[in-house]
Amino acid sequence: MTAKYEPKDHVPLPPKDASVHTTACDYCIVGCGYKAFVWPKGREGGPGKAENALGIDFPVPALSGRWPSPNQHNECLVGGKKHNVIVLPDPDATVVNRGGNHSIRGGCLAQKVYNPDGPTADRLKTPQIRVNGTLVPVSWDAAFDIMAGVSRHVLSNFGESAWAMKTYSYQYFENTYAISKLAFESIQTPAYSEHDKPGPGNDTAGVDDSGIVTFSASYHDWEQAAVLFISGTDPYETKTIIFTEWMMKGAPNKIIMVNPRRTAGAAYAEKTGGLYLPIIPGTDTILHLALARIILENGWEDREFIDHWIATKWEIDSGFGRGPRNTPVEWRTTWDKIGVTDFAAYKEWLLAQPYSDLNTAAQLTGIPAKKIRATAELIAKPIGGVHPKTSFGFEKGNYWSNNYLNTASFAALALLCGAGNRPGRVISRLGGHQRGWASNAASYPRIQSPNKYQGRRKQEIDLDRWVEAGHVRFAYVIGTTWLQAMAASQELARTFQKLTRDNPHQVSSSDASSAVDALKKRADSGGMVVVHQDIYPVDPIATEYADLVLPAATWGEEDFSRANGERRIRLYSKFCDAPGEAKPDWWIISGFARKMGFKDYDWKDSNQVFEEGARFSRGGVLNYHPLVWYAKQIGMRGHDVLRAMGTRGIQGPVRFREKPTENAEYLDYAGFFSSPKRRGMIVGTKRLHDPDHDFGAPEGPTVHQKWLSAFGSHSGKALLHKTPWDLYSDFFERITPREDELWVTSGRINERWQSAFDDSRRPYIMQRWPGQFVEVHSEDAQKRGIESGDEVLIWSDDVLIQTGGFVATKDGEMTYTELEKAGRIRIGHGEFKGVAIVTDDIRPGVVFADFLWPAAPANSVVHRVPDPITLRYRFKLGKGRIKKIGESPYKKTFDEMSFAPRTVM
Amino acid sequence: MDVQTPCVNRRQFLLAGAVSAMTVTLGSLFKGRVFAADEHKTATVYGFEKKWIAKLSEIKTGDTIVFLFPREDAHSLCTLYKLGVRAGGGIGPDQDIVAFSDLCTHMGGLLRGNVDFKSAVAGPCPMHLTTFDLRRHGMVVSGQATQNLPQIVLETDGNDVFAAGVVGLLYGHHNNMERRDRA
Repeated sequence: MTAKYEPKDHVPLPPKDASVHTTACDYCIVGCGYKAFVWPKGREGGPGKAENALGIDFPVPALSGRWPSPNQHNECLVGGKKHNVIVLPDPDATVVNRGGNHSIRGGCLAQKVYNPDGPTADRLKTPQIRVNGTLVPVSWDAAFDIMAGVSRHVLSNFGESAWAMKTYSYQYFENTYAISKLAFESIQTPAYSEHDKPGPGNDTAGVDDSGIVTFSASYHDWEQAAVLFISGTDPYETKTIIFTEWMMKGAPNKIIMVNPRRTAGAAYAEKTGGLYLPIIPGTDTILHLALARIILENGWEDREFIDHWIATKWEIDSGFGRGPRNTPVEWRTTWDKIGVTDFAAYKEWLLAQPYSDLNTAAQLTGIPAKKIRATAELIAKPIGGVHPKTSFGFEKGNYWSNNYLNTASFAALALLCGAGNRPGRVISRLGGHQRGWASNAASYPRIQSPNKYQGRRKQEIDLDRWVEAGHVRFAYVIGTTWLQAMAASQELARTFQKLTRDNPHQVSSSDASSAVDALKKRADSGGMVVVHQDIYPVDPIATEYADLVLPAATWGEEDFSRANGERRIRLYSKFCDAPGEAKPDWWIISGFARKMGFKDYDWKDSNQVFEEGARFSRGGVLNYHPLVWYAKQIGMRGHDVLRAMGTRGIQGPVRFREKPTENAEYLDYAGFFSSPKRRGMIVGTKRLHDPDHDFGAPEGPTVHQKWLSAFGSHSGKALLHKTPWDLYSDFFERITPREDELWVTSGRINERWQSAFDDSRRPYIMQRWPGQFVEVHSEDAQKRGIESGDEVLIWSDDVLIQTGGFVATKDGEMTYTELEKAGRIRIGHGEFKGVAIVTDDIRPGVVFADFLWPAAPANSVVHRVPDPITLRYRFKLGKGRIKKIGESPYKKTFDEMSFAPRTVM
Repeated sequence: MDVQTPCVNRRQFLLAGAVSAMTVTLGSLFKGRVFAADEHKTATVYGFEKKWIAKLSEIKTGDTIVFLFPREDAHSLCTLYKLGVRAGGGIGPDQDIVAFSDLCTHMGGLLRGNVDFKSAVAGPCPMHLTTFDLRRHGMVVSGQATQNLPQIVLETDGNDVFAAGVVGLLYGHHNNMERRDRA
């Protein structure tokens, strides 16, 4: 257990000769620039500017960006010897976190570093195998032998779809490239899924299908906007620096935030002339339709933009209506129910929708009609004949409650307001984690996926359902808390228990061949073999279920690259040792692949992987191929060119230009690199969908995709989609809380990141948030006798779980009503405990918990019935009952957990 | 209820007078002024020359008193708050008088004047909106600071309120004791 927080009295300053390493934050999408100062233990710099590497006299003034707080210091190992390390937000940054601004998450980055004498001492250090139920060390070679022996057996006897991979999508380009090479090129498995969903494919299909690249904006756009419509997230809490460094500095602007819960950012929005819309979870589509209708009925839409940039009937059909209609984007956009319309047809459709009526919408969304009307005015009503400069940002509260309809209706609303392709008038995701996937060595083999919508409508897999149906015999799990991160978590854990530990075939010796024999028998008997690869022993998938546990090296322990929420690619430098025998994921994959006999995995270092992956990034928004090409021309390594660009990095797609027409301001923002050894330079791309920027003709290895200067559709124009509420209303009505049930929604809290894998080892964070919490409205709390600080149980005996039904043949077969009729819904149980926080900042009838506190996962009470169109879960729409079960220790302490409101503004 | 008697340990180190740091338990530092559950927890305290702040009888609920401590410089801006509710380390008959540094431990923004007595919260910091719980030793409520707001140790002698020490590193310092101009 992590020690109690004790305020430190001192922080050692880096001496002048400390080594300095460029890096960026490991956590949220914003990707702030950081510098790591490393020097041997036993020495310290002095408080005079000539005596320290920060070059400043202590004490430092406000906003200097040069104050290392005690949580920004740690000890680490370099070459096996103890060193000091300070991880400081880059005070010289002119992009992202200008001047060294930072969040509490990144501000505590130093605490994630492996220190054998600190709370991170429990990092995984050696490969382990479970023998007679207990994990014991095993060599890398033996671990690879066992994995390969079982994998070969599973592949030849049960096929590729019995060999599953569940992985993070974001832990650096080098690792994800290696993952794609193994899964899609070498194994070619369709049984593949990323950390936050049951299968691959679009996260926000409705926005993508509208021709909008979801990370098209630059952070500067959020500053330039006069009005910000933010749906399903509070960027202050979860992408702090976008809010504090860009949105807040765009004042005077007006922010509108749509969430069931009033957060600090929402309180700020209200204080500064904006609006907070307290929506009933899951009803965003109706809100979007009502807003669009008010705008159209008043003629506030941006006609000039619509005439230029919304596809006409003819343009819609260009490129469609042909081909097999077999890819999701083809069938979604041509299906009459949700398909694309031109502006006139969209208007006609919208005005005929009963749900777009203001009063109906007010009732169904729970948002007062006058607030909806005020919102429509703010985002669209011309002032003096000029349309307001409105940007539209969204996140998971939007797309993880009603995936397709919410995202498509959101995009349509934004497009009607003229957003999408101008500075300060953008449509973009605000983001969760960073973008760490640039290159696919091969494509996901969708054609082999078992999932199919009615008609000739192929889909990616739903891996959780596939596992539960007993089709997976080997699962390779990399860097994710699979069970708690997915819907109906406890039911999924029960499935794992049954397929692994309850199977009679268990390993009784760490000898590789005997282990392989036992695990082959497991697979043959219908059980599942699990390998978990991570930095900590994740409970329960590693601690209880995995047969092999493999130790990974991470941030700071290897040179890696990754992009942030404005496609900014940076080098994340190695500056300390990984613990024990822990290795980066690409190295582990390479070791396993070579045992399998797969070719071309002989990488010597991460730069080689980076360079090999470059050409597979070419068509994408994170295309960094020109960088590697340029590096080769001047005799440098790709990583070293990236390193030379420091925390500014370069925004994807990277372009090569002989004679750039970009001005200095653009280059200073987007990043660039040139060498006297070669004419021209590589330049970054500040904004996508940028028709006014002169990109010139593509030069050298540069790729110009249509979305660079137009929208990402066949015609280059944006598309409006119909979004009928009826496609979803049967499910929504079924899951709406009844009697004393409440909505159970969840999300990130500012002070914690993901599963708290680092935060749970930070005494400072643990004093603030020692465990799971549950925000309850005071009316709901009073009825149940709940006070702040009480321990509460949230439970549901009505967790809906879809079983089977991989292939649909008839129209309507995948609607909730038909699934239920066909007996494809089973009802499970879920529960979790938390500490109550009684507040009026949440809607009555809704409770809110941390989305991924592994010991008490809120997803336990979330239905495992994905959006039938996109196979995305409705994570935000759990439900359950709540009762007091005791008092937490925090009710009688001043030292841990705060119950003060988070909206003091 | 006599909650003003300082413990021997603390008296010893404070009376030792001069500018020193030591690690003590909260139970001895704030004797009788913390929950039983918190008594064994420790903190490093800087003892400084005691400084008179106010007359106890003259402080009313909702009052703030600004003062400089531990030195007479820009990094020593502090505020005393009478919250009207019991607080960790609070003095006075209701244990509701506490004092903290005014400099946000995120990036040094000035918190002075930003307090919500209804919820006993300092802030929001005008720079990046961080708030701190004045009942809970300056714990961050919401926001971006990477350590608690340093709490000023208050003590009473009869009707006189003194500042006597600092818990936690003051913004901008690498060491509460040391300044470049005094190094």
